[in-house]
Amino acid sequence: MLWIAIRMLTGDAQKFYGLVFGIAFSTLLITQQLTIFVNLIERGASGVYNVSSADIWVMDPVSRTTDVAYAMPSTALDKVRSVPGVEWAVPHIRAQASVRTKDGDLEGVAVIGVDDATLIGLPKRMLEGSTDVLSQPDSVIIDDVGTTRMFPGQSPIGERLELNDQRAVIRGIADAIPSFTSTVVLYTKYSQALNYVPGTRNRLSFVLVGAENPLEAKALSERIERETGLKAQTRDEFAQDGVQFIIENTGIPLNFGITVMLGFIVGVAIVGLTFSLFIRDNIKQFGALKAIGVTNSKIRRMVAVQAGLVGLTGYGLGVLGTVFFIWGFSGDPTFKGFYIPWQIPLISALAVAVILALTGWLALRNVLKTEPASVFR
Amino acid sequence: MALDWKNLSFSRQILPAIALLGLLAAVLFIFVGLPDRNLTEPDREPPRAPAELAAQARVAGAGVVEPSSETIQIGSALSGLITGLFVQPGDRVTEGQVLFTVDDRAVRAQLREANAAIAEARASIAEARSAQATAAQQLALYRNVDDPAAVSRAEVIRAEGEAAAARERLSLAQARLQAAQARAGSAQTEIARLTVRAPIAGEILAVNIRKGEYVSTMGGSGSQPFIEMGQTQPLHVRIDIDEEQAPRVALGAPATVSPRGASDRRVEAEFVRAEPLVVPKRSLTNSAAERVDVRVLQVIYELPETNGLFRVGQQVDAYIAAKGAEE
Repeated sequence: MLWIAIRMLTGDAQKFYGLVFGIAFSTLLITQQLTIFVNLIERGASGVYNVSSADIWVMDPVSRTTDVAYAMPSTALDKVRSVPGVEWAVPHIRAQASVRTKDGDLEGVAVIGVDDATLIGLPKRMLEGSTDVLSQPDSVIIDDVGTTRMFPGQSPIGERLELNDQRAVIRGIADAIPSFTSTVVLYTKYSQALNYVPGTRNRLSFVLVGAENPLEAKALSERIERETGLKAQTRDEFAQDGVQFIIENTGIPLNFGITVMLGFIVGVAIVGLTFSLFIRDNIKQFGALKAIGVTNSKIRRMVAVQAGLVGLTGYGLGVLGTVFFIWGFSGDPTFKGFYIPWQIPLISALAVAVILALTGWLALRNVLKTEPASVFR
Repeated sequence: MALDWKNLSFSRQILPAIALLGLLAAVLFIFVGLPDRNLTEPDREPPRAPAELAAQARVAGAGVVEPSSETIQIGSALSGLITGLFVQPGDRVTEGQVLFTVDDRAVRAQLREANAAIAEARASIAEARSAQATAAQQLALYRNVDDPAAVSRAEVIRAEGEAAAARERLSLAQARLQAAQARAGSAQTEIARLTVRAPIAGEILAVNIRKGEYVSTMGGSGSQPFIEMGQTQPLHVRIDIDEEQAPRVALGAPATVSPRGASDRRVEAEFVRAEPLVVPKRSLTNSAAERVDVRVLQVIYELPETNGLFRVGQQVDAYIAAKGAEE
């Protein structure tokens, strides 16, 4: 009987493909836009996630994100080290600087100074060269997206730059997730960064902390705040701060929210119209079925199977489209590090289910009211 | 119904199959593509609190290794060219050992001059003595003549005058001798001052002069000291502690010290003293103008013998027990 429902559904190929296309299109729209949205705002947290070993970030109480930070006196490091439960703490500087390239162009860069001795604060992986190159004088490591922006089509290794009238030689490329603004990032040692960044009296932007017990990082961050008067955020909290900052300060959530809404509306419109037209066209057949004694619940199940097939096919193709999209653009520096959070396909699945349930329910109302006699009219 | 190949329908069987396979592929892609945000242990050992202080109240500080005598910047009392340099960095010297000598030709010439003047003065003393003797004999001769008419009064007065003048010449010559001797003595002192000696026993840490260079009493070029030395057995370490943390430090307790870059090699350092003066912290930025920020209490600790792990001027990280920890 359910097979009959499916034959009924695919009998009119035009309508069937219309339905599948509608579902696939709205799935694609919702999934792809949500994916880009999530990845885009998570760019605000990339600075935090690039540092793989710090459990807690300590900063001045007014600092908000990795890029919006107010410097602390250098003894803040010792204060943090004095807190019980802190296994280790290292200095970290993040600052904006202008770099003069060989051609004389001026480019804004982010200079990140990592602890001299341990190099904590560098991205986990290197694309070219090793992190040891920082022990050579005047060395900097550039991030891979910065490479494509500053040195399109050539290797930056060995290039000389001028930072605050000081020489800097690029000796490595780091594999890092770019920041929201895709600024070129130069990693160097803390002591070297102090020379590269013309600055004020206080220079220390962050203290990176490793907790003795990483599972109790939250409690430790509260203790650090209590004992030092500084602001301490766990890694996830600080990543969230970065995301929040972008949500609050840009129009991105609104724009993408509108697109996702449009995807939903388009889905409802196409699928709803086609599905109810399809059911209305088949009302005679349903009537006939009722006439031969098929119950309403059986008919409900038949429609559910039809909706399920359309939904599954459309949704599968839509998600596949999104995967192809992300995969196809994964080589593009703008989309570096983009991924599909597993929650998003579930959200679009829910949206598809809602669309189908809504339209199916609307269409079914007529069927259920149909008299078996209507066949003969 | 299903596996009838002739009856295979694109829309009924192939398309849903493609969709299902696509879904599976997507699931795989999504889970493979999830970003790696796991926390990792740092590759290189960062400075950690020692185990016994891990869960206790503690104070951390950064410091610099210095000689136990502190660094002595050897100066020169006189300026001139360096004619002899007798030490190298790393040499161990005893107290009073010659470090370098400054050109002494001019002073030696003065000494020779003074010696000549001494000889001259001695000669004039001898000459004055013989003149005095002659005059005294003449005067005695006149005085022994009883007949007043035999010798005129004027002759006697002249003889008396000659005797007195000869006495004066002798004392003048003696005074000249003393002056010349004093000049010789001062030239010898100058010669001694042109030889710079080690004020204490210790190790030569830096030699910034070379033979033939000019040293001035105003200090070296670029305000570099000529020679830096200090007692490096034992070494001390000067730990800076933020003034806000200073009241918490358990003064007298040992400190756990590790050098930068070798934080796994920790040593226990004995408390020596806390400096009575709280000073502005020097941020070692290597920039031309050292920056001044917060004030720090400086606490001195004595490092144990570690066979070259610590060197003078090296930066270290230190952990000290806080007051609450002992109670």
